[in-house]
Amino acid sequence: MPLGAVKKFNNLDQKVFGNSSLLSKKVFGKWQNFPISMISHHGRMCCEIAREWFNAMDSSQLSGSSIFSGPRWIRQRYDWGPTKWKIHWCEVVRQKSLDCGAQAALAHEVFIMRGVECYQAQLVQQFSVEATMQWAERWRAEETSVFWINENLIYHECCAIVIDNGEIKLWDASSSCWINPKQFSGYGTLRALRLFAEPTKIAIFKWGEHVITANLWQEIKKDSVSAIVK
Amino acid sequence: MKIYISGLYSGTNPQPGIGIARSLRQAYPQARLVGVEYSNRCSGIHWHDFDEIWLQRPWEELNLKSHGKEIEKILEAGGLWISANDLEVIWLASVFPDGHANLLTPSSDALSQVSKPAITAHKLLPVGIPVYVTNELSDWDLHAFCRQNDWKVWLKGPYYEAVRAGNWAEFQDVRVKLSKAWSTDKLFLQSHVTGYEESISLSAYNGELLSSVQMRKRDLTEISKTWAGEISPVPAELLNPLRQMIKELNWTGGAELEMVRDADDQLWLLEINPRYPAWIHGATIAGHNLPAGLIEGATGLRAQKSPAMGDEFTRVVLEVPVRHDYPLPSLPEPFGGGIGHSLKHPSGLLGFANRLHEAGFAENNNCDGHGRIVKNDLSGVPKSFVEDITEVDFQNVQTPSFLFLEKTACRLFRRAGRLSKKLSTDQIQLTNAYSIKTNPDGRLIKLAREAGFLVETISLLEVDKALKAGFKSNQIILNGPGKWWRREFLPAEPLRAVFCDSVADLRRLVASMLIGELKAEIAGVRLRTPNFPSRFGIPIDTPEVFKTLIDSIEILPRECGFGIHFHMASSNVGVEKWWHLFESVLKWCSSIEALSGRIIQVLDVGGGWFPDDWQDDSDAHFAKAVAKVQEYLPHVQQIISEPGKALAQPSMALAMRILEIQDFSGAATDVVVDGSIAELPMYFLHPHRILYQNARTGMWQSLGRGKAHLLGRLCMENDIVASNVNVPMDAEPGDLLVFCDAGAYDRSMSYAFGRG
Repeated sequence: MPLGAVKKFNNLDQKVFGNSSLLSKKVFGKWQNFPISMISHHGRMCCEIAREWFNAMDSSQLSGSSIFSGPRWIRQRYDWGPTKWKIHWCEVVRQKSLDCGAQAALAHEVFIMRGVECYQAQLVQQFSVEATMQWAERWRAEETSVFWINENLIYHECCAIVIDNGEIKLWDASSSCWINPKQFSGYGTLRALRLFAEPTKIAIFKWGEHVITANLWQEIKKDSVSAIVK
Repeated sequence: MKIYISGLYSGTNPQPGIGIARSLRQAYPQARLVGVEYSNRCSGIHWHDFDEIWLQRPWEELNLKSHGKEIEKILEAGGLWISANDLEVIWLASVFPDGHANLLTPSSDALSQVSKPAITAHKLLPVGIPVYVTNELSDWDLHAFCRQNDWKVWLKGPYYEAVRAGNWAEFQDVRVKLSKAWSTDKLFLQSHVTGYEESISLSAYNGELLSSVQMRKRDLTEISKTWAGEISPVPAELLNPLRQMIKELNWTGGAELEMVRDADDQLWLLEINPRYPAWIHGATIAGHNLPAGLIEGATGLRAQKSPAMGDEFTRVVLEVPVRHDYPLPSLPEPFGGGIGHSLKHPSGLLGFANRLHEAGFAENNNCDGHGRIVKNDLSGVPKSFVEDITEVDFQNVQTPSFLFLEKTACRLFRRAGRLSKKLSTDQIQLTNAYSIKTNPDGRLIKLAREAGFLVETISLLEVDKALKAGFKSNQIILNGPGKWWRREFLPAEPLRAVFCDSVADLRRLVASMLIGELKAEIAGVRLRTPNFPSRFGIPIDTPEVFKTLIDSIEILPRECGFGIHFHMASSNVGVEKWWHLFESVLKWCSSIEALSGRIIQVLDVGGGWFPDDWQDDSDAHFAKAVAKVQEYLPHVQQIISEPGKALAQPSMALAMRILEIQDFSGAATDVVVDGSIAELPMYFLHPHRILYQNARTGMWQSLGRGKAHLLGRLCMENDIVASNVNVPMDAEPGDLLVFCDAGAYDRSMSYAFGRG
């Protein structure tokens, strides 16, 4: 599987926190062990120039705004579309379009370089079968994996920035917006979330009214709290 | 129960009357709702929730006195009145100075405390007010406000309307239009706040906060009006101070606080509207029926519950049948050759605003918006200008003529020299450079040389001029795309620095240096930074070109040092933006240094500083800049600062004389002068301070804003050297006008035209 070959494997759920409920697994079960997207580096000047260019671009694009501003310029520069993994820095910056994993990884890089506490996160979002069929056709036409699609649910990536004392906001880089923590059912909403923090520490975050435990897939619903908190 | 509801306009920027009626119908099915309007062109009169329509003549022709008496009769008869029209609310407060139990609108006193832009009542709330000034300030100061706020400013009308002004020409155009539309000069400029818009709407009666909701905009129209929103309770940190504010204002009626939340979560209050917002029924859909709460609070009659159907709402467009007794009016004829039918403000709101203005509602109090009186005299002009100008023997000056303000120029160049010495350290030297193209006048070049400046040139002809003016070759910097023009003037000795404008230019420089044709102590590149349109320098906004740049830098001869050149007009992009840009350039430089392996020894920065911005707090700004350079680029030995027009612009003025004065009754005065845009080509880019001398008395005065246009001598439609200036009543042909601030590109780009 090309995706699995290059993305970091992270399966902390089983090892650390135990199984999630069966009902929740219907939402995120397919991606239980799915790794988060990482951009590779050739270890040579080609990637170093690309990465430096990217970070300097963000300093220009920020133009004095708050470091907590969403880097909308990434999506403005790169359309949303299939990405062939594995991808390196020298390749990613030259693409016309990037998938959600690549866009989120770039946004994560931006926030970290700005000095913002930021974590990569995996999501499950609900759309419709009609929408996911369209996406599957497009991805297949470009010979890229459709593992991210499961009926009306899709795997998605974003990044979580800490804004105040464990309170987070989720930046959806491929939609250029902050995800609304009040919406967790219906078209375009977030159904499940796994936020990656240092595996050595158990980090608890607050997202709207939800309590989020790092490194654990959890379904998002009214006043959802992670299994470990319960 | 009979409830009168006004403000039924239901176009793309709707009034809240329909939303109020829908909410009240839900809460009080048996109530008699009367729609009040002032034009049969307002489609809201056809909304089915109204049991009857009370249609009045448009505001501009309405007899306000008798209309007030009719409303009084309605209130005395037990009718309740909810106004959904800001101007009507203001007017009603004056008709009923002691209020009325059935009039559900705030008092004059409360209104004065929520009036824009100060909104003095906001002090109890945890919100900021975006910085603002009134249009009472001089054009010079208004231009400064725009620069300080990076040209992200809104010119706002006294009651409604806000228009973005991105540059000086736009600002002047918008000001004329808004002043004309609202029949007043009482406009104000406010800085833009980037963020997400949200509102609080509330109901209050006699100072008691009855209910409130928060609404975050989730979809907007083209003019930023709400199209969809999310309703939630007002958070406690806002609710308690809000309750206190309402109590202190003794507020009655609906209200809306329009705010912006920035990326740092700070709330900025834009305005408090003395009525419900047009989205008010969206709150009812979410289970918060604010108009019903107001009626309940005022009458004690219990409202039916409004069930929550979700916490989000959106709008759709609906077609409704037209009431038989109010058939649609005909469309007015388009003006000959015109486009469209001119249907804005069908109820005559602009005319109403004019009437309120004439009645003293929008008095021009000659303040800057912060209680400081605006003076319009010679004190607004630097003393040295007045000294220089009054020393000129104008009897012997053939106008139009440029005047060299020697004392002013000397002071500016010496100050720049002192500043660079003060900020230089053992590690890093700050050196000024004078850009010859800004004004090639020999007197200015001489002052620059005496003050220890280097000189910046854009052609070999300018290099030659600098050498002839006494500069040594290693005091000359050559840059720009035309640096190879007139090769016969290539200097034999090494220049201080040469900066390449493109990769091709860089290769040419390398070739030239290899054969010994051109010598330089420093060879470098000019950067074209992303996000700022420019035709100069090497673009770095694509990874491909950036890599080419890195590769190309490696071919620069190792015998000479390496430098980076970055110039952007601060007056055009704004002061804060320029400093942010400067910092981002340092980041780029740091990357270039690391990737190319070439140490940056010289950093050349500038230009286009507006004189006041360069002078006011330049010490602190430049000290910070030097520290930043050392932080990002520890190997830099020299920062070359090119102040651009900051020194040249104040150093010359343009004298002209009045040729003719044409007075048109009731209209502006046209004053024809012997100067023209040929001598003042930057007339549209920035204001010029204008001094006037009465030829008979010899008295000088400064010209403020007024109704006169100064028309140039050329037979060209656009030859208007200044608009909206106040020419004294006793002015006559032969009187003198001196346009200050004309020493930079006005002088260097002036041209001979219409001189035979």
